[in-house]
Amino acid sequence: MTFKSYVALLVLVPLGFAGVWDLQKHIDASQSRAEVEDDQVILRSGKLVKAMSLEYAPLMADIYWTRVVQYFGNKHAGKQVDLRLLWPLLDLTTVLDPQLIPAYHFGSTFLSDAPPRGAGRPDLAVQLIERGIQANPDQWRLYYDLGFVYYFDMKDYPKASNAFYEGSKNPNALIWMKVMAAKIAAEGNSTETSVFLWRDVYNNTKDPEIKENALTHLQLLRSEEDCRQLDALGDQYEKQFGRRPERISDLVQAGLLRGAPVDPVGYPYTLSEEGKAQLNLDSPLLEKQVMVQPRK
Amino acid sequence: MKRAGIVALNTFREAVRDRVLYNLVFFALVMMVAAILVGQISMGIEDEVIVSLGLSAISIIGLLIAVFIGVGLVSKEMDKRTLYALLAKPLRRWEFLAGKFAGLVLTLTVNTAAMAAGLFLALYYVKHSLERTDAVVLVAVYFILLKLALVVALAMLFSCFTSPLLAILFTGGLYVAGLFVHEMRGVGSALISPALAAILQGISYLLPNFENFDVMGAAAHGRSVAGALIAQNTAYAALYSLIVLSVASAIFSQRNLR
Repeated sequence: MTFKSYVALLVLVPLGFAGVWDLQKHIDASQSRAEVEDDQVILRSGKLVKAMSLEYAPLMADIYWTRVVQYFGNKHAGKQVDLRLLWPLLDLTTVLDPQLIPAYHFGSTFLSDAPPRGAGRPDLAVQLIERGIQANPDQWRLYYDLGFVYYFDMKDYPKASNAFYEGSKNPNALIWMKVMAAKIAAEGNSTETSVFLWRDVYNNTKDPEIKENALTHLQLLRSEEDCRQLDALGDQYEKQFGRRPERISDLVQAGLLRGAPVDPVGYPYTLSEEGKAQLNLDSPLLEKQVMVQPRK
Repeated sequence: MKRAGIVALNTFREAVRDRVLYNLVFFALVMMVAAILVGQISMGIEDEVIVSLGLSAISIIGLLIAVFIGVGLVSKEMDKRTLYALLAKPLRRWEFLAGKFAGLVLTLTVNTAAMAAGLFLALYYVKHSLERTDAVVLVAVYFILLKLALVVALAMLFSCFTSPLLAILFTGGLYVAGLFVHEMRGVGSALISPALAAILQGISYLLPNFENFDVMGAAAHGRSVAGALIAQNTAYAALYSLIVLSVASAIFSQRNLR
């Protein structure tokens, strides 16, 4: 090649790529105009996908699990509530690798959470975890996940208690599994149990979103408990003065409170027109309360 | 055996000269990208994906080398007519085959060992430590190596009596069939005639059972592999390779090389 050819090449190749770049932008623009969101799971038979994966089924399971996380994350970010592909994707993932515990653990949360946070399908979450327990009977945490779904999402306390009890039979299970089983069997739903369960999620997850969700639930549970106690003081005030308190300061002036209590994010509680305690209108927790609809 | 050893060493040198080991660069890139990306695009499977991806890459790259180079071990020597010069020396045909087999297995061992080291580095990067249970990854790598040795033997067998293209197809076909041995045994007589079921059952024991070497799932989840299985798989791969190489030697000895 001559010097001139080299120079020509140096000029033409970048120019060519600039043309490709520009052309691709036009193609992208045309496609996005015509594009209707088209999520698909073409192959739905786990057995078929497993056979086609040859010996690489564990890697395929990892890929499908990553797809689950991306699918859920994208829908969540786009505030879309249609999560109909969540179950087929989780089904494929767990058929490809029945030992992939995070798929059962996080997948059940994605399925059971009420919209807009999740798919609102606790029945499928139960199905998924039961499949996980069958494939991994030594994983006591899966019983915990099952109890969690029964307790919070299905409000089926006998089944929740039973799940915790079955999990507690595992010699590696933590002692509080048995305590949980007994407590739920005796009391059903209680704030104390709910706080304990959410605190465990908060302490044991590394995922920032799940941690944030657990924290929100803990904060909302605490604010509800605070409001309950403030209402009890309001009742006491009513007995003393024959009328409901109008402001928190009324309770302070009556000597029932030392000072104005604040919610977990530092905003003072207020009283409604009916004299009931509530979150401050400026408190960020108020929006979360509307969005999350706490699982308690 | 000394003569076979010389052939083996030369086969290894030839593979290095042919830049076969350059695939390690590709492997290193895959592992680096995976180690950096996986935590950001997935959830809860950082260790699993590194192990699954690493072992899959070791297996796929090894299989490509075993099949494509294994098939060419004999045919290339014939095409280049270097085989005639070799066989004119005091070298038996079976020694030539054994040497070629050992040379490629040595190449694959070096290649696999380097990739395993890369895999452990990536795992260390993700986990910040290595645990005792990670030793099962080494077992999985060893099983991949056993599998590759068996594939090399099969590729050499087919290349002794057919064209390279057909030898690749036969080896690949037999490899895939060997991954479905369990399913073959499970076909009940409700679906097919009892005679056919019995034939399939018999074939399933004669086919090379590559499912034996699949412990990728166990390795990804840190589950241990029994010592007996390691010994049995080693014996299985050695015996099966010996049978295949003996048949290949018999065919190659009868082959008219004029």
